[in-house]
Amino acid sequence: MPKISRGFHALCIASIMTFLLAPVILVFPISFSADAYVAWPPSAWSTRWYVALLHNEEMVTAFRNSLIIAACVTAITLIVAMPAAVALTRWNFLGRDALTSLFTAPLLLPSIVLGLAILVIFAGYGLVGSWPGVIIGHLVITLPYALRVLITGLSTMPAFVEDAAGTLGADPWRVFRRITLPLMTPALVASAALAFIVSFDEVVISLFIAGTQLKLLPVSLYHYVESWTDPLVAAVSALLVLGTLGIVLIVERAIGFGKAVSK
Amino acid sequence: MYLEVESLEKRYGHFAPSVSDLSFSLGQGELLGLLGPSGCGKTTTLRMISGLVQATSGKIKVGGQDVTRLPTYRRNMGVMFQSYALFPHMTIAENVAFGLQMRKARHADIAKRVESALAMVHLSGVAERKPRELSGGQQQRVALARALVIEPDILLLDEPLSNLDAKLRDNMRGEIRDIQQRLRMTTVFVTHDQTEAMAICDRIIVMNRGKLEQIGTPHDIYENPATPMVAEFVGRINRLEGQWRSDGAIAVGDSLLQVKDGGGTGRVLIMIRPHRIDLGAWGTASAGSAEENTIAGTIRHVTYVGDTFQYEVATTGGLLQVEKATSSMADPFQPGDAVTLRWKTRDTLTFSTEIAG
Repeated sequence: MPKISRGFHALCIASIMTFLLAPVILVFPISFSADAYVAWPPSAWSTRWYVALLHNEEMVTAFRNSLIIAACVTAITLIVAMPAAVALTRWNFLGRDALTSLFTAPLLLPSIVLGLAILVIFAGYGLVGSWPGVIIGHLVITLPYALRVLITGLSTMPAFVEDAAGTLGADPWRVFRRITLPLMTPALVASAALAFIVSFDEVVISLFIAGTQLKLLPVSLYHYVESWTDPLVAAVSALLVLGTLGIVLIVERAIGFGKAVSK
Repeated sequence: MYLEVESLEKRYGHFAPSVSDLSFSLGQGELLGLLGPSGCGKTTTLRMISGLVQATSGKIKVGGQDVTRLPTYRRNMGVMFQSYALFPHMTIAENVAFGLQMRKARHADIAKRVESALAMVHLSGVAERKPRELSGGQQQRVALARALVIEPDILLLDEPLSNLDAKLRDNMRGEIRDIQQRLRMTTVFVTHDQTEAMAICDRIIVMNRGKLEQIGTPHDIYENPATPMVAEFVGRINRLEGQWRSDGAIAVGDSLLQVKDGGGTGRVLIMIRPHRIDLGAWGTASAGSAEENTIAGTIRHVTYVGDTFQYEVATTGGLLQVEKATSSMADPFQPGDAVTLRWKTRDTLTFSTEIAG
């Protein structure tokens, strides 16, 4: 009985994984198709769509823009979220819990609502289609994620280590630098990775705010798919999957991804 | 006096104060125990001394200098936490060196002092390991070395033994006392375990509900408890209720009890420790003298726990617990036996005002 149930267990997991991952994996062979449209199985193999991608100026620009935006968003997210998380976990003040809920609330809102709201406000300030506009829009989404991870990281720190450092003669700044910061590194790396991936992949808010002037990869991809059905999208997707995997691997190597996200 | 605490108070919001009206002083090299049930304010007091909690009012002076408003990192107090609070990302040597680095000690000097601190707690071999690779007892020694290496003005120990198993606890207790004596380190030791406090403290403060109940030597606290709370907290004890008589004796049931310094009116609470009561077969005793009290009773229940028999005896004044050491020969009393309970007058503790408790 235990053996059967274990086999069944494994089968369940295998089928769920297949269900979840099959489309992602399928993207790779399709991206090497020699056909002019997406079809399975491809009639012949080639790397022509990767070459086409390199010569597609819009895609290359969009990719570069998205990278720059994601990097900026990640940096600003950490700079803002880290002190905020410290304040929300280490200081005692009236309305602290209310603030924590408020700051993490956007996680629960449908991004289409957020996107629309931001569009309405930004339009008045001429921020639509601008770099600062897109960065601020993305921050609305990435900050709650980062705050969540950092708050968890800070509140699960071993008890009293900061107090202990204080009694040993470390002033608050040195307590932070020598004790708090090293102990929250896993949470920092995790929130950086999350912020980067979320910003890079964000479609809905980018769609609203990027407008037509500022090309972003997910938006350009979306528009491309509307009018073309060739395997170029598969090539882009394959690269995205590899990129994300790369980030996850780096995080895993650095601290262990499971630990970083769940800690 | 080296450490002086004057009318210390801590309030959180509008709740009853966690600590109030607490005053005591401590000589150089003295080991003081802060003893009390959980929530009595002993840890809050320790944290106020260390500066981790700001006192609402009152003064804390060390060597004559007022440190009440000084931040923790300027106070030079060695604190050992209940959870040890070792830095998990540093090696043992780095943990111990931390306080010296904060004091900007010279590099070579740091290495030497870390080494001798670890030697003092018998942990020389583990300097390069991380805290999680050490056992609980070893982690605790590291915490002690880390607190002592900075040569603190005062050593503060917060329930240092409560995370250890019983045997290790006794060893460690003795070791802490040894080191404290050797360094003549002025120490405040917080605990809820009266045996622990009795065993190593020069003096003990018993706290209850944020207030000092009594301060004194372990002997004082045990033999002359100031309040029924202290009497009950530092060991097992019987309670009886009686009535003062005009001749200075106390009427309990149909017996009369003498007390060492009698006198009072109205009702009175009497307390006697179970092991201070002698049991004899009924009729073997002479009537109570000035040095001794006797009361008649019937054995209700006998419990054998190896080193003692614990008897429950019904008397006209109420139920009394009696504890007798066992010997291989002794033939214990059986339930239903008529007995005489006898104890010294000076072991009869009386509390006139606390009858309601």
